[in-house]
Amino acid sequence: MLALLFILFAGMAIGCALAVVAQRNPLYSAISLVGVFISLACLYVTLAAPFIAAVQVIVYAGAIMVLVVFVIMLLNVEQEERGRNRLKFLVPTAIVLAGVLIAEVAFMLFSVNNPTPAVSNIGLTSSIGTQLFTRYLLPFEITSILLLMAIVGAMTLARRGGLLSADARVIPGAQQLPRSLVDPRATPDDLRLVETDSTVEAGRLLGIDQRNTQKD
Amino acid sequence: MDTAIDIVLKFAAITVAFVVVLLVVAYTVLAERRVLGFIQGRLGPNRVGYGGVLQPFADLLKFILKEDIVPDKSTRFVYVLAPVIATMAALMTMIVYPFGPEIRIPFTSITIPLVVAHFDIGLLYVLGITSVGVYGIMLAGWSSNNKYSLMGGLRSSAQMISYELALGLSLIGVIMLAGTLDLAQIVDLQSGWHGTRWFILLQPLGFVLYMISAIAETNRVPFDLPEAETELVAGFHTEYSAMKFALFFLAEYINMFTVSMLATTLFLGGWNVPFIDMFLVRGTFLFGLVSALGFLAKVIFFLFMYIWIRGTLPRFRFDQLMNFGWRILLPLALLNIFLTATIIYFFPNF
Repeated sequence: MLALLFILFAGMAIGCALAVVAQRNPLYSAISLVGVFISLACLYVTLAAPFIAAVQVIVYAGAIMVLVVFVIMLLNVEQEERGRNRLKFLVPTAIVLAGVLIAEVAFMLFSVNNPTPAVSNIGLTSSIGTQLFTRYLLPFEITSILLLMAIVGAMTLARRGGLLSADARVIPGAQQLPRSLVDPRATPDDLRLVETDSTVEAGRLLGIDQRNTQKD
Repeated sequence: MDTAIDIVLKFAAITVAFVVVLLVVAYTVLAERRVLGFIQGRLGPNRVGYGGVLQPFADLLKFILKEDIVPDKSTRFVYVLAPVIATMAALMTMIVYPFGPEIRIPFTSITIPLVVAHFDIGLLYVLGITSVGVYGIMLAGWSSNNKYSLMGGLRSSAQMISYELALGLSLIGVIMLAGTLDLAQIVDLQSGWHGTRWFILLQPLGFVLYMISAIAETNRVPFDLPEAETELVAGFHTEYSAMKFALFFLAEYINMFTVSMLATTLFLGGWNVPFIDMFLVRGTFLFGLVSALGFLAKVIFFLFMYIWIRGTLPRFRFDQLMNFGWRILLPLALLNIFLTATIIYFFPNF
């Protein structure tokens, strides 16, 4: 019974993994990758590690891949040119890496003689929690700080990249003017913006459309 | 041989659970139309059957008989796949909820649990499957090749990702109190004080945060921006017709049902009916029946709240929605975790 399930889910995982590489459309590749993650989660369940299976689905399939699909949808990569020739130099690298992977699998097959029994309590929630907060506390905390750094870094990069300065606020429906247009004292490379509540007020600040200003 | 019988029994249990869920969902749709009609001073559908009780079946027949259109410029495979993902993900969460305690069938010694599958990680399973459901909506929006659909799909996924955080964090308090992710054990823990030791009394803030994020997570009013008809026609399902549209509709209502059941299980004591243990002995058939009905009543109360809110509140603006989720709900959820942890640390026996 377990062997049957293993063959089913392992086959699904391999099929989806092949599809990730073979598909031309990046969105299909991403969906196939979700399939790989879900099949892996099912394999974890058969290995009596339900917590890891659930986390696999929540983190990889439910969060990371959603963002990947999101980006693919927004960029519409499909219509962009796929620079296949540009990536030719990667083919020998890929062959070498595949060789290393196969060697690793072979090593596992021939050197590990007594695998741990499938039914154990390693994958249960309580044992993972106990281990994380006692034996592996330091790596656990270091990993969370690493993730925090990544988040802060991403936010800093995203905020510096745009035209808006750090103290400019975006209010939908309101008008925004570059400070250099309105304030004669501002330098041209001052990227801060001036907010106005309406188009009329923007016109007044720019010194055009006096008629509406008087009506105000 | 035993595994074969086991598998057959599981399939039977799944079928029963699905039929019950689909019936409740069908009548939730009818109740929504009637109650909204009452709130808005009109009648609502009341012609098919007595007071409109056959309306869901008439609607179903209509959905099946309508022409099924696949837009010419759509990505056909993904277009067909999307409603399947949405409905499947919605239905898959049904199997872990304990609908009631184990009951003994009268005049025999057979006891059956009123839950399809008993998981050590039931709660995480629900959250995981719910997070996969986003793909249905995203892919529907993308594959329709229509700007309204794409905007609806993008909005929806952004909204669901944002509110999933607050939803997950609001449940941490309950998990800390219970010390388990097993839904059946969480319900059992709430059976103290004659069945009134509900976690809503110990986690009021967590409950409010959960309900708000759950409404956002299911794309309902006042957070129904993905299908805001004044801006986006019908959002991600603009191009869908006939049974494919019905599947999205179904998924939305099943998701409502799911989050209502989760709220009942985690905060309102699951199948615990207050003071019932004074009159009936646990393990008897009657006790099981009353408990299961109590569970259903609580779920129906939540479903009614959904409808009531829909008839009362206007829709949020998108930036308000994002600000609310990230700047108010998320810090409050973290505060709730901090408070719960502090209280548990100082009063471990409470």
